[in-house]
Amino acid sequence: MDRTTTIVRRVSSLPNWVFVLAALVAAIAVPLLNQVGLVDTAWVRVGIRSMTYVLLALGLNLVMGETGLLNLGYVAFFAVGAYTTALLSSGKFGLQYPFWLLIVLSMLLAMIAGLMVGLPTLRLRGDYLAIVTLAFGEIVRLTAQNMQSVTNGPNGITGIYPPRLVTEGLSERLVSSGAPNWLTDILVINEPIEYYFMVLIFVILTIVLLNNIKKSRIGRAWNALREDELAASSMGINASKLKLLSVVFSAGIGGLAGSLYAYYSTFINPTSFLFMQSVIVVCMVVLGGMGSIPGVVLGAIVLDALPQAIREISSILDTDFETYRMLVFGIIIVLMVMFRPEGLVPNALWRREAHEEDPHELERTRQRLFDLEEGHQDLEV
Amino acid sequence: MSIEHVIGLAISGLTVGMIYALIALGYTMVYGVLEFINFAHGEVFTVGGYVMTASLLGLGVSDKTSSVWFWSLLVGSATAAVVATTALGWLVERIAYRPLRGRPRLIPLLSAIGVSIVLQQLILLIFGGAPIVVPTLGITAASVTVFGARVRVLALMIIGISIVLMIALTWLVKGTRIGKAMRATSQDMEAAEMMGINTNRTIAFTFVVGSALAGFGGVLVALYYGSLKYSDGFLYGLKAFTAAVLGGIGNIPGAVLGSLLLGVAENFGVGLDLGFLAWFFVAGLVAGLFVQFIVAPRRRVEHIAVQARTEKYVREVYKIYWFAPYLAVKRVLSPRTDALLSVSSRHAIRLLAGNLLLAAMAGVFFANSTARFAAKWQPVIAFVALVFVLVFRPTGILGEHVAEKV
Repeated sequence: MDRTTTIVRRVSSLPNWVFVLAALVAAIAVPLLNQVGLVDTAWVRVGIRSMTYVLLALGLNLVMGETGLLNLGYVAFFAVGAYTTALLSSGKFGLQYPFWLLIVLSMLLAMIAGLMVGLPTLRLRGDYLAIVTLAFGEIVRLTAQNMQSVTNGPNGITGIYPPRLVTEGLSERLVSSGAPNWLTDILVINEPIEYYFMVLIFVILTIVLLNNIKKSRIGRAWNALREDELAASSMGINASKLKLLSVVFSAGIGGLAGSLYAYYSTFINPTSFLFMQSVIVVCMVVLGGMGSIPGVVLGAIVLDALPQAIREISSILDTDFETYRMLVFGIIIVLMVMFRPEGLVPNALWRREAHEEDPHELERTRQRLFDLEEGHQDLEV
Repeated sequence: MSIEHVIGLAISGLTVGMIYALIALGYTMVYGVLEFINFAHGEVFTVGGYVMTASLLGLGVSDKTSSVWFWSLLVGSATAAVVATTALGWLVERIAYRPLRGRPRLIPLLSAIGVSIVLQQLILLIFGGAPIVVPTLGITAASVTVFGARVRVLALMIIGISIVLMIALTWLVKGTRIGKAMRATSQDMEAAEMMGINTNRTIAFTFVVGSALAGFGGVLVALYYGSLKYSDGFLYGLKAFTAAVLGGIGNIPGAVLGSLLLGVAENFGVGLDLGFLAWFFVAGLVAGLFVQFIVAPRRRVEHIAVQARTEKYVREVYKIYWFAPYLAVKRVLSPRTDALLSVSSRHAIRLLAGNLLLAAMAGVFFANSTARFAAKWQPVIAFVALVFVLVFRPTGILGEHVAEKV
């Protein structure tokens, strides 16, 4: 066995909490180092963008990884969320709905869009979802581009108000009652570092939520549908209902990401919602590992932050890379599905399948099954 | 709104429809054999147009080129394009699809998306992002008058050539040995293999034929519009796929019919006043009411076992369709409804919803009878058609219900 395999094995046999902790420390370190002046603010912005992609990839993973359906217009739900927020909290119609209401509303409208796409297609074969979502993504973009009176067309919507965590009246009362400055300051989120933590909190909440769903009855039913729809249905799983649930749920996460995106970019226009964006998110999920939450997070960060990081460090990836970016993404998708369909960080099921002959892995599986019989631990799939 | 205007729109709709059909045939044949959506098909189409244009430019077509010489160079370039797309189709199947056969459905689908992106980006890198302009020298712009409408000669040629190609394809599938192998493979790949059919070669052949047709479609589009953009394959592919679903995916005549309908619908949709379009909805409504009140209950009654087909039961089925939604909803909600009545009730509610939608559309269109859709909404027509078909008749116009193989 050569050296690198040994290292990979050593690292991957570390307990999970080590990785979670490392990721958290890294995530919190970026803005803190920025505060003390060690890291440029540009990095905080890169972090915010990457985390938005993490949210999108997590949402798409729900349909692609967990349920085994292909959604090629995922960016449409992102767009629905972003436009909902932008229209109801900007100078366009002179409205400023509360932040929390808009987050919920964006998610709800995106979920309704998911329902609209899912209902006609999910009674049919999974492939139809791919093509209808592809078409739906284009419809949403064309609508945003053509409905000049509502969306300002290609010019987009500018001047989206910064999110207020509490109402204006309440924060004024806080000021007059002598609350400390920093408190009243963070109640209106308008600096990169505040946006960073806001998005980070939503990402963590989403990961916790998804992790729980994955282990729940619904999550296991999704996985069963992914592995064999016929067998799953004959075990009493209502296939079309659960598939619809998965599409709607993932649309909601897309809407959340869209809403956050609209808030921190303060400007949106249809070019943010091109088909290529959907492909990029698909690529992130495939690279990281379909059905594996840590994999998907890694995939999103690698594909979004890494090119920028390399560009910062050296001039290998200067403007030239932009021209080749989509080509590279396409090649990554093809190579990954051909040679490593389980992704960089495979989920538990893939890992077991891949190492069926490996005595080390076999022993772990046996141990896990033993634990399960003894009632020590829930089966983790 | 003159009749010449309508004829002109119909002919340009048929022309575009024929081009869609050339692309849709590739989708439908591959789907018929492998039950797989070849997302890279639209890019093969673009490659066809680009190779033809590049070869025309490379052969030195200029303003001084004579008409005869131009046509012969054009034939040569078109042949080059078809050869190139044929090779491309074979190569893509060999490299990106064949090794993945038998894997979970999602895997080849993802590979196809990846290939599509790679091909599109390669075109972008080689030829640049600006639309490529075809040196047609104005020769392809000649027009004649048909029934009082001015029609481009090229449009008529496209329709003619496409019809010839489709007849040839029908002969290929129905009348030759390899066509027989294709049909056998699409029915049951394992059984075909056991009968000694080389299914790998048959599948490769299906891809090759589909790609050649799509490449030729690219040639025709480049000539017809005089320019082509690297991203055009995406939209054309999507529309052709819609057409294939509209006609019934896996069904060759269906793909052609669906394409022609879509082409005409697109041209009528943005070329005619809303007041005129409303009559199509009225016609649809008449057909829909006919289905709801006469065809559907009669077909449902045929499903009742002879022993159970009492007069009272039959009347019950008719009542559900005629008095939807009241009776139908009552039926769906009632726990004591038997399977046939509950299926009928849901069907009746769907039909009623469709009819109400058609009536509402007709009403809205009549109310704005002098307005027109802006051309920028044209791509939406295909998508709306796709969703409509999937909701109301997922098997398409000519498609039969195919149960999934166990």
